[in-house]
Amino acid sequence: MTEQHAPPIVRLRGVRKSFGATVAVQSIDLELRAGEVHAWVGENGAGKSTLARILGGLHGDYRGEIQLAGRALRLSAPAVAVRAGIALVHQELSLVPELSVAENVFLGREPRGRFPGSVDFGAMRQRAAALLAELGVELRAGEKLARLSPGERQLVEIAKGLAREARVLILDEPTSSLSKREAERLLARVRELRERGLALVYVSHRIEEIFSVADRISVLRDGRLVATRAVGEWDEGSLLRALVGRELARPAERPRAVRGEAILRTEELGGDGFEGVSLSLHRGELLGLAGLAGAGRSSLLRALFGLAPAKRGRVLLRGVPLRSARPADALRAGIAMVPEDRFHEGLIPERSLRENVALASLRELSRGPFIDGTREREAVAAVARRVGLERSSSETAVRRLSGGNQQKVVLARALLREPQILLLDEPTRGIDVGAKAEIHARLLELAREGTAVLLASSDLPELLALCDRILVLRGGRVVAELSREAASEERVLAAAASLPSERAAVA
Amino acid sequence: MSSPPTSHERPAFARRSLGLYAALLLLVLGFALAAPAFRSPENLLLVLRQVSVNGILAVGMTFVVLTAGIDLSVGSLLAIAGLASALFAQLEPSPVSVALALGSPLVIGLLGGGLNGVLVAFSRVSPLIVTLGTLTAYRGFAVWYRVNPVYDLSGWYRELGQLELGLVPLPVLVFFATAAAAGLVLSRTRFGRHVYAVGGNEAAARAAGIAVERVKLAAYGISGFCAGLAALVLTARLGAAQSVAGQGFELQAIAAVVVGGASLFGGRGRIRDTVAGTLLIGVLFNGLVLTNVPSPIQQMVIGGIIIGAVWLDGVVQGRER
Repeated sequence: MTEQHAPPIVRLRGVRKSFGATVAVQSIDLELRAGEVHAWVGENGAGKSTLARILGGLHGDYRGEIQLAGRALRLSAPAVAVRAGIALVHQELSLVPELSVAENVFLGREPRGRFPGSVDFGAMRQRAAALLAELGVELRAGEKLARLSPGERQLVEIAKGLAREARVLILDEPTSSLSKREAERLLARVRELRERGLALVYVSHRIEEIFSVADRISVLRDGRLVATRAVGEWDEGSLLRALVGRELARPAERPRAVRGEAILRTEELGGDGFEGVSLSLHRGELLGLAGLAGAGRSSLLRALFGLAPAKRGRVLLRGVPLRSARPADALRAGIAMVPEDRFHEGLIPERSLRENVALASLRELSRGPFIDGTREREAVAAVARRVGLERSSSETAVRRLSGGNQQKVVLARALLREPQILLLDEPTRGIDVGAKAEIHARLLELAREGTAVLLASSDLPELLALCDRILVLRGGRVVAELSREAASEERVLAAAASLPSERAAVA
Repeated sequence: MSSPPTSHERPAFARRSLGLYAALLLLVLGFALAAPAFRSPENLLLVLRQVSVNGILAVGMTFVVLTAGIDLSVGSLLAIAGLASALFAQLEPSPVSVALALGSPLVIGLLGGGLNGVLVAFSRVSPLIVTLGTLTAYRGFAVWYRVNPVYDLSGWYRELGQLELGLVPLPVLVFFATAAAAGLVLSRTRFGRHVYAVGGNEAAARAAGIAVERVKLAAYGISGFCAGLAALVLTARLGAAQSVAGQGFELQAIAAVVVGGASLFGGRGRIRDTVAGTLLIGVLFNGLVLTNVPSPIQQMVIGGIIIGAVWLDGVVQGRER
């Protein structure tokens, strides 16, 4: 099955897509063949989802060429992809909760009834039922979608693709919200569809799943395709190395920060997405949080900052229980945060750099209710210099800045608070190398000055280069604590993915 | 960085609103040429007097719109506040009755707006629904409370409505003073920044420690207060109040804010642009009357202008991205 020489159904040549100044994918050459499951793996931000969305017609302004059965085709809109027989099942499902399963499956292509404009609901239900039976899914076609579990919805989405006679089915993280049993059932369906001659793309973070279902594996890194090989030519070690992308060398030594007393401790902290977390964070320490997507890193940080308060356990700040029910409380207690998504919880896009940086410190920059303009400008200019923003005008609307500078704005806002504890969630995701280096330098400097820094990142080299200790999370729990000396990419990945460490560490 | 911004560094919205002022200027010049009656000082003051009630409402509305909200209840609230003011203005002048005639509409406006704010901030019902509800309920209250018009108001009250300082009518002064104060609050105070932040990105505002609910509550309170102030100005000018006063005023106020370039999605807009939007609509109405355009046609033109202004805004913005 792996080395069939059937002509590819879909062929990509030099495909590229950028968002503003950020290149999401480039120079992608890829082939999808009938009767084959082609897995795409890569770290967060590697470009897998962008590629999937291009094939689904959701990024019509890509560059490069896509051929379907030997003929060039411009996937300019979702409708074009659907007509070409490409169905995308992606993380944000495109289903209508208030409609029935059958109505969803045939959405936009309802069987016509006897009168103009009418729908033959009987035929629709029958055909949907037949399709679901074919898929081996026990679902009533008349059931309202809102009553289904996430796994069942994934299956409905697949049925929808099949109803459109898809020849290419792209599954983007189909199991990310599924239980283990649901995931196994889904994988069984995927294998059946392969036998029926579909070309399947399987995007996942879960290494075990990929080895159990894929015929070929392609690795994406930083928007480029770095390797495509048959599944037999990979093992977990080589796959992880390709994912991470370089010989796994130790990062350069850095001057050790003097570790001070513990400033923040958590005791059996639990909430949505994490459980039983007990950790201590020291002054002058850079503590890393590693783990795969969904391991609970973000949830933990958000709880500490009061964005999504913890439900169990407690947080002690200098030995005193901290009630941070809102970010305002955390800020007052000397905790600042750089949230994961700079657009969602970071920036006010229409407002200026100055206003964005000053936003969390307005009280300190005011006289009575009025903002002291001079003090504001000076304070913002000073902190902007510290993070390397001095070349941007402080009056530019932040939506016009590059991704790296936007991230520096969010960091500058946190630093203007002069926090004793700084929480950062993916502070360098999707930004250019220069900005990344500047942010790294700033974090090291902060730690040297005595700030306690808690850094969550899916960029392992970043964690290894910066952190004094790394906590690895899996399934919401801390599964490993690695000192700087003990930490390596293999060890972190092995703990994060629960691979037997001997195998992962073959290097 | 610490040097004052030079012209090419000005935020995009500053350039964008130039078009608004150019349009206003063109309209004034055009009507001045087409209708000699338009350019008399008396007429220009008349235009200002005519727009002042809508202008005050629009200033309050701007706060709400900046938080990505909307306040449909201001017309109804204006009716209640006007009735209260008029009922006290019927009494024998005394320090108490004067204070009540002047103060009651403001307090009622603040309370009515505050109720809107509490509902919007804490019920998670959308502002459109909340204020559609209070639009109806407040109007119902006004009619239930007093079906018949209230007139025979004290002399001092009616004189206040006709008062001119120098050449400028008092309503116009109240409008400009309100706008100036509001502009100062939005551009210079912490609260003003919070308003823009909440409307520009509510999640980010929360993460920056801003008490989002309190900001929304205050914005609706201010809108209600402006409705009370507009009620006072209107009632004093007309020398009467009635329960059906102010119908449709909310839509005129929203139109002025939107023509001024504020985004109904929040976070974008300025008081001076709202004032310009108010003036633009006012000038257009007045000029069309003086050029003998029939009233139904006037409405069609104004309607077209509202859509056209927002469309143009989108075109300009799209080009800048």
